[in-house]
Amino acid sequence: MNTIVCVKQVLDPEIPPAKFKIDPEAKQVIPPPGVPPVISVYDERAVEAACRLKDKHKGKITVISMGSAKASDVIKHAISMGADDGFVLQDPAFENLDSFGTAYVLGKAIQKIGGYDLVLCGRQAADWGAGQVGSILAEILGLPVITLACDVQAVDKKVRVKRMVNDGYEVVEAPMPSLVTVSSEIGLPRLPGGMGLMMARKKQIPVWKAQDIGAETSQLDKANAHTEITALSVPTRKTECEIVTGGTPGEAASNLASKLIKLL
Amino acid sequence: MSPTGVSYWGIPGYVIFWVLFAIALGLFAQRAYFLFRLMRLGKPENRFDRIGQRIKTMLVELVPQWCTLKTVTRTDRAGIGHALFFWCFALFFISYIIFIGLAGGFGLSSLIERTPFETVYFSILDIAAALVTLTLIVAAVRRYVIRPQRLEPTAEAGFILMMVFFLMVLHVFGGAFDHAARGVHASWPPLGGALAGLLRNAGLSQGTLEAGYRGVWWLHYLVILSFMVYIPRSKHLHILASPVNAFFKPLGPKVVLEPVPLEGVETFGASKIQDFTWKDLLDLYACAVCGRCHVNCPAQLTGKTLSPREVIHNLKEHLLEAGPGLLARQTEASSESPSETQARTEPKAMIGNVVTEEEIWACTTCGACQEVCPVNIEHIRKIIDLRRNLVMTQSKMPESAQLMLRNMQSRGHPWAGIQSMRLRGDWTSGLDLKILAEGDNADTLFWVGCTGALVERNVKATLSMTAVMKAAGVDFAVLGDAETCCGDPARRAGYDFQFQIMAEQNIDMFKSHNVKEIVTSCPHCYNTIKHEYPRYGGDFKVVHYTQLIADLIKEGRLKLTNELNAKLTYHDPCYLGRYNDVYLEPRRILQAIPKTKLEEMERSRATGFCCGGGGGLMWIEEQPGTTKINQMRLEDVIKTGAETVVTACPYCLQMFEDSIEHKGLKDSLKARDLVELVEAAMKQS
Repeated sequence: MNTIVCVKQVLDPEIPPAKFKIDPEAKQVIPPPGVPPVISVYDERAVEAACRLKDKHKGKITVISMGSAKASDVIKHAISMGADDGFVLQDPAFENLDSFGTAYVLGKAIQKIGGYDLVLCGRQAADWGAGQVGSILAEILGLPVITLACDVQAVDKKVRVKRMVNDGYEVVEAPMPSLVTVSSEIGLPRLPGGMGLMMARKKQIPVWKAQDIGAETSQLDKANAHTEITALSVPTRKTECEIVTGGTPGEAASNLASKLIKLL
Repeated sequence: MSPTGVSYWGIPGYVIFWVLFAIALGLFAQRAYFLFRLMRLGKPENRFDRIGQRIKTMLVELVPQWCTLKTVTRTDRAGIGHALFFWCFALFFISYIIFIGLAGGFGLSSLIERTPFETVYFSILDIAAALVTLTLIVAAVRRYVIRPQRLEPTAEAGFILMMVFFLMVLHVFGGAFDHAARGVHASWPPLGGALAGLLRNAGLSQGTLEAGYRGVWWLHYLVILSFMVYIPRSKHLHILASPVNAFFKPLGPKVVLEPVPLEGVETFGASKIQDFTWKDLLDLYACAVCGRCHVNCPAQLTGKTLSPREVIHNLKEHLLEAGPGLLARQTEASSESPSETQARTEPKAMIGNVVTEEEIWACTTCGACQEVCPVNIEHIRKIIDLRRNLVMTQSKMPESAQLMLRNMQSRGHPWAGIQSMRLRGDWTSGLDLKILAEGDNADTLFWVGCTGALVERNVKATLSMTAVMKAAGVDFAVLGDAETCCGDPARRAGYDFQFQIMAEQNIDMFKSHNVKEIVTSCPHCYNTIKHEYPRYGGDFKVVHYTQLIADLIKEGRLKLTNELNAKLTYHDPCYLGRYNDVYLEPRRILQAIPKTKLEEMERSRATGFCCGGGGGLMWIEEQPGTTKINQMRLEDVIKTGAETVVTACPYCLQMFEDSIEHKGLKDSLKARDLVELVEAAMKQS
């Protein structure tokens, strides 16, 4: 079975909070120097889900990422994990798109690649966290969508997904092809193996521009955007530390418990 | 006449002599060949270079018994006993060849017996026998009464002690009966001569004396032959295997890790006994279960399940148990008969049954085990080979290990997620430094290392280092935010792919800047770049900062004038000390600082105790035990009464900061990097 995985390159979420800077005027994040961007955590899980399917059913994994030329790094990361092929979608017209614009571009690329049984996305990006692209993309491609997957299986031409809900999970099936967004509950992504790392080093990652995938730049015009950022700010973090005490460890524990109950 | 010259039940003594010898030799050879074939199950490894140097190294270890005398301490003097055994046994071994082999077997008794040579040699042997007996008593008392922690009182050890004692008794009685039967009155050899007198006075007939002599002689011969048969079947195999192991010991760096092939193999590291190299298997034969590693292993001493002694012993037992099946499969496979070989049960999985994951992840790779091992066993590479299999083939590792390795892979360093983290290159801001851009060249590169660049506490030491180098007028450059990890944590944690990629990238980068010399802050970077990069084509002069500063002081380029007036102790980082024998330079620097009082810890230099942070354990959660390694090391520091513990490694520094905080000693005890003291001593104030 053939899978297409959409991945995004994001600012490393592990940088110290003090180093996170924004430009409130331009409403943009200023990436700190010396920190390589990384693959968005949920997208990495989507790659992991694709690799697990490939382990069982063989097939091909294609990874696409819309972003700068450096996005080839995340494609290579996916290849090192077990993906076979990948493309970077880069064009000045693709900059600062909202979820609809992003889904439109990804949709065009997926249509160009074709021949897929499954499209996988992360449940949301680790930077903006909108969590919309997957569903909009399914709409554009005319596919069924299952979100928040914690397990993805292929059973008799159908995809069977365990989907996270508030008090557990539900199992949903959809015919293939469909689109699934993957949640972190699927488990830690694998460490790349030697073969994968070698493949990733050798692989040239082609860059597709708007015209390569037949994207109408008029569709991507700011005027057509569905979202507008009105303000951007860094939340102030306040931490207060209180040591809960008690005569005995048991007393301390019950004091702590009652404090926690009050806070809930 | 030699007892072989007589016929017994109509059979000439010579025939009996050689038949017995042939049987014993046959049994010896059978076992030796079996062990050799088992060893050959291991993977190939080239240790056949520099033969001359290898012979020399082996002789230097063996003949003066440096192998075991080097381990003698105030509390453990067993090495002296071993040396006595060895020398005395060498004398006895030669005597067996001459007086039993040549005289008895080859009928040259007329040339040898009753000569002054015999008297002199027997006299020496008498003294040796007395020494051996005395040592035997000490050994037995030690083993069964005192019971030091490092020894398991096995029946095997008791048996061999008895056998040796028996040999000594037979030697003395042999000489005594000979003298008594011949009516020789002599005070030399002393024991034999004296005993001969007693025998004569006991009123034994001439016939009894002669029969007694022959009986003792043949018994002596039988015991020697049974020794020959027994040795390769017991832990005393080390008598044969350890000289060979000394011959094949690493001549360069002490810990040699074989690179993992990136392509063309399906499994990595060692999951089966035959995944080790033949040298690893030879190591197992060389082990005499002396347990010196056991009592020097920081993991073992802090209550973890890991014991290097048990790892090696269990692997040996496993090899002997699984070996015959593996050999049978090998022969059947080569004779191209399929079928039943498949049905033969696979030996039990090595990881989990022979060595547990808990043991594998408890090792800090500190090298204490290898340092004290008298027979040159290389424990660490085996542990790392097991980790390699867990990480690269089975994807099984502690979550903390996986997080670290993922950070290495996607972020180029192991430090993501800590509170006090800086950004790469941050530390250079505001300093007038030569930061290499593409196309720039530099002869001397200051390689900061991830910890020195990223962790708040260690950045202080990095800043001190740049200040010191500037003050001494060293012309150096740094890579700033272009520096990545040297790869050490990935390699020690068994993720060799990542190490190899980092090594190759770094080597390319060094070459692109025409770097000739690399100064490192971190002993781990030092060891990796110096000893492990050459395998990937990177030959650079690598210097640890302590070496550089010691030189600068010697050349008068750096003057340390400020008095620090501090009572301090120095902790040897394992990768600087044991791995690279840099013990003197840090101490010379400390001595150059006016009014410092250096109090050595009891465990220092080669026997220095690990801080707990090596081998990837800086990031990998410490296995459950009775205490943490860094806390145990802090007790050593406290015992010296020092106010400052000085080290020269970023991991050690952090480990001490952590244990000092944990013990609530922040006000009375400080952890400092040596370079911070140098900077303080050099400032004009």
